[in-house]
Amino acid sequence: MSQGACDLMQRELAKCIKCGTCRSVCPVFQEVDSEALVARGKLRLVEAVLEGKLDYTPGFAERMSLCLLCKACASACPSGVKTDKVFVKMREMLVEKRGLHAVKRFVFTWLKYRRIFDWSLRFGAVFQNLFLKTAQQGTGKEARIPIPVAGLNKRRIIPPLAVRPFRSQMPEVIKVLKPRMKVAFFTGCMMNYIYPDAAHSLVNVLRKNDIEVVVPQDQQCCATPIFTSGDEQTARQLIQHNIKVFKGLSVDAIVTGCASCGLAWKKEFPEILNTRAAIREARKLSGKTFDISEFLIKNGYRQDFREVNLQVTYHDPCHLKRGQDVFKEPRELIKAIPGIVYKEMAGADQCCGSGGSFNLAYYDISRGINNRKVDNIAKSQAQVVLTGCSACRMHIADGLGQQGKPIQVWHTIQLLDMAYGEKGLEDERRENDGGDDY
Amino acid sequence: MEEMIIDRLRAIVGPSNVTTEYEDLLCYAYDATFRESLPAVVVKPRSTEEISLIMRLANEYKIPVVPRGAGTGLSGGSVPLKGGICLVLTRLNRILSIDKENRVAVVEPGVITDDFHAVTEQMGLFYPPDPASGKTSTMGGNIAECAGGARGVKYGVTKDYVLGLEVVLPQGDVITVGNPIDGETGDYDYPLLFTGSEGTLGIITKIMVRLIPLPPYKETVLAIYDQLEAAGETVSTMIKQGVIPTTLEIADHATINAVENYLAIGLPTDAQAFLLIEVDGIKDEVVRQIAIVEETCRRFGAVSIKVARTKEEIDKLWLARRSISGACGKISPTKISEDATVPRSKIPEMIKKVREIAEKYRIKMVIFGHAGDGNLHPNVLTDKRNKEEMARVEEAVAELFQATVEMGGTLSGEHGIGYMKAPFLKWETGETGYQVMKAIKKQLDPHNILNPGKMFTD
Repeated sequence: MSQGACDLMQRELAKCIKCGTCRSVCPVFQEVDSEALVARGKLRLVEAVLEGKLDYTPGFAERMSLCLLCKACASACPSGVKTDKVFVKMREMLVEKRGLHAVKRFVFTWLKYRRIFDWSLRFGAVFQNLFLKTAQQGTGKEARIPIPVAGLNKRRIIPPLAVRPFRSQMPEVIKVLKPRMKVAFFTGCMMNYIYPDAAHSLVNVLRKNDIEVVVPQDQQCCATPIFTSGDEQTARQLIQHNIKVFKGLSVDAIVTGCASCGLAWKKEFPEILNTRAAIREARKLSGKTFDISEFLIKNGYRQDFREVNLQVTYHDPCHLKRGQDVFKEPRELIKAIPGIVYKEMAGADQCCGSGGSFNLAYYDISRGINNRKVDNIAKSQAQVVLTGCSACRMHIADGLGQQGKPIQVWHTIQLLDMAYGEKGLEDERRENDGGDDY
Repeated sequence: MEEMIIDRLRAIVGPSNVTTEYEDLLCYAYDATFRESLPAVVVKPRSTEEISLIMRLANEYKIPVVPRGAGTGLSGGSVPLKGGICLVLTRLNRILSIDKENRVAVVEPGVITDDFHAVTEQMGLFYPPDPASGKTSTMGGNIAECAGGARGVKYGVTKDYVLGLEVVLPQGDVITVGNPIDGETGDYDYPLLFTGSEGTLGIITKIMVRLIPLPPYKETVLAIYDQLEAAGETVSTMIKQGVIPTTLEIADHATINAVENYLAIGLPTDAQAFLLIEVDGIKDEVVRQIAIVEETCRRFGAVSIKVARTKEEIDKLWLARRSISGACGKISPTKISEDATVPRSKIPEMIKKVREIAEKYRIKMVIFGHAGDGNLHPNVLTDKRNKEEMARVEEAVAELFQATVEMGGTLSGEHGIGYMKAPFLKWETGETGYQVMKAIKKQLDPHNILNPGKMFTD
């Protein structure tokens, strides 16, 4: 553990005045009433470890992993304690002291090798029906048998893997007749392997706005699940690889449709890298990375939408609202479409409970948190809930499915794509192999 | 603690509601003050009956019991100074009834203050006490500490709303005191005795509070001064003229700068003070009073006066006040929030005294508080890791208390005495008053098992 990391933790710990405000916003604490699970308590535990009053016990490790990294406490903290940073740093320290959980070690190694990762997920797509069956509501898949390694219990409804990942369906460069800009699309794993429908929509919307899109085939995972688990070293390798792939492109911007990937590119890459040159390079790319909704608002978009008669609501992904301060943009885009009735749900910016791998390890807590979200969605009487994060989409769809609510979950960009219609597209749109069965 | 006792606790509340893991104990050792002390066990009961059994057990084996809500106290009320059982009451969190006709609500102690506000206000009713920690604090904690809040000027503090209580006494007996009739009781006024007793006399398990109709209209004024004393004079004059503001908040130069650095909302950084004044009630009356407020602010030389009428405008003015606490955290890591309170007429004198003390002991003190009820909340900004400075802070605080008592004030406007002010309590009560308090305590809690070390030092 570097001195820098210790200093960061000490500095943040000193700012906590133990006022307890975090108790009013922490989704995990709302499920499990234990002071040791809320930021104030966790910070005290971190402090105790640094003071030598507490060892790196399994109990401590468990409490540190019981955090969604939703940043609700960080953004509500009146003293401005960067709680999320402290917890990630402490997870790194835990990996150093205790090693990585065996399952995670296996998965992260796998993530590093793109070809194997790619092959496994395709292989998985072909054979998934051996283990998964289509859920009764037709909204996704559920496990035939419990699959603990993947955190799947039987009642859980997950979307099927795409038979052909998005990137292998696309050429590297998607040209338009009169390009006004050129952007690179960082797809992220979930849009590539699970939700190619949203990735296609994103490309379509860009094309319909006369923007040329590059989809680098060599891109890899953004490393968020890896560094949030404390494996900084593996994360650094992936980040460096991604930067190498993107820095050579002559594009006006890097666009993503994934809240966590966007946050990683914008803020976390430069924080995790450790050489001055690498940080400088990362910062250059961070400056031109945008979430798709932010990109469209900033650079203008065609407004000749056709009417879409739907009642919709929007769920703020943590990593989009609190991570990137992007929350007005998607709402503005949604409301620009004629025919749309927009209903803001209560607690729109409260975490859906997914938290990356959190929902695999602590599914019951995660489900409890998600049930509140599902209730708020249902109360909004929306037919479709829109969001900007594939992980939220998957987790909310699971909740809606289990409660038998006939409400669909789309990425915001899919609504835009639909509202544009086929206008402005040459008829070369490829069949969508995967995605939700709607 | 003996395993047998832990087992008996497990039998009472269920094994999952008892923890002795060190990682948990560390997290129930503190509140919002700066001292910590580990409990031996954390217990989370669900009912009056369970609490009664726990108290019988604790009394039999003379085990200290420290009741705890959300742990947001500012005088150390829920720190388990002598170890023992940390009795967490957050699972008793139901609003049992809201009687609109008689304007009485019954709640359990674990209900969160602001949740209760939201529910009552939806029904057109109003529970005025609004401690700044209301988003997190519990009703039980508010009663135990007799919490106040910004609306205290007009509406008073928690004790003005408590009609009745159900209390588990230290030996396990359950007593119901007070009644839902808003008036006299046949016996002694026990609700007043238990309100503000800081967990030293009993465990509050049910709370009956008085509600009032929700005022239909309010306006807010932010007045900025280039002299702190002028702001102080405005306060006492305004109240003399018969204005009864809902809130009357003051902030000094250092505070304004901290907030402006934090938020950049356009507060003039050379300002020496601001007053945030809110008046609520029937619209005509509010408008009449706000005119007097504006006139008085102007007379005492306010350099800028802003009036807000819509919810958005009002929220904007309040943003400055609400951000103070956090903004101060950015100046120094340790903030000791005092609530020594003086009669309103002594506010200018108290402001002068606070400044003298800060200078004398070379410490940073900022003033931001409820000027309307004489509670200036002098806050010491320091660093608990700096032992030498902390020693000076202790002396300064003692001198502040002395001055408060001499001005006819109280050591606790709303935070309670806890461990922090226990050494000074006698200054306020006098020897006889102190002995009477001790006699009451001894009668109810002969083995001194309930929250030992709080209010009393011995």
